[in-house]
Amino acid sequence: MGFFARKLHELREYNNIANIGEIARRYFAMNAFDGVLTIIGVLMGNYAAHVRDAKVVIVTGFSTCIAMGISGLWGAYMTESAERKRDLNDLENHTLTDLSNTKIGRASRVAVVVVAVVDGLAPFLAALVVLLPFFFSDLLADVVFSYYASLGMALAVLFALGAFLGKVSKGNLIISGLKMIGAGLVSILLSYFLGVEH
Amino acid sequence: MGKVRRLVLDVLKPLEPTIIELAQQLSELSGVEAVNISIYEIDRRVENAKITIEGDDVLYDSVVETIEENGGTLHSIDEVVAGKMIIEDAETLQD
Repeated sequence: MGFFARKLHELREYNNIANIGEIARRYFAMNAFDGVLTIIGVLMGNYAAHVRDAKVVIVTGFSTCIAMGISGLWGAYMTESAERKRDLNDLENHTLTDLSNTKIGRASRVAVVVVAVVDGLAPFLAALVVLLPFFFSDLLADVVFSYYASLGMALAVLFALGAFLGKVSKGNLIISGLKMIGAGLVSILLSYFLGVEH
Repeated sequence: MGKVRRLVLDVLKPLEPTIIELAQQLSELSGVEAVNISIYEIDRRVENAKITIEGDDVLYDSVVETIEENGGTLHSIDEVVAGKMIIEDAETLQD
């Protein structure tokens, strides 16, 4: 068995033991959703404050992406490692042995890292995708079009996330996608009215 | 020294990895020809397993190492058969 095949086999084993896939999937959907809604907030805030400089939107948006990424990574690492330690201790109380150097202990440590990376990358990437049109704002006649394109992108990402969750639950992909879009629209509308007041 | 041909062990193990994975791993050890694992007691997080291993040269240390690597604890060695062939325990009047 080659190096990669062996590592893949190990990862599959760890996944079976520590249930990494399911938890990572949950974190991915939840945090990508958070990422998109947060960046919608940033975009609408900038729009409402009459920011018409793409660079300002990119800088504020990108720092928000980084902050969300670090928050996800750190938060999930700390939370997951505390939960996993507690779970391993509980199991050790049953077996009356130290399990840290067994396959179970290693699976637990791998789970923490995988979940933390997923939790950090999901909001970072989802928000970054939404921000993409601003990187090409020079190609558009007016920066306002970048706002429109970004919000459209946000709704598309939300729909994709909803469809993904629909696939997970083996439900209706379209309905699930539309439900997610609903959250985005509510967020956009509330922020828009804030802008009108402004 | 004579070769171990059958080992019967009493093991306490976590529910995960499953006995399917454990049996597969034990069966891949050198000198092992067949493995049988049966569960006789199950708890919330652990289970008690009777592991029977047969082969032409079962290596006790590798067996225990594999069990421990999978989070199991050896409670007792319930039966050992060593030598050129497998023999069952002889019946006595007390049986």
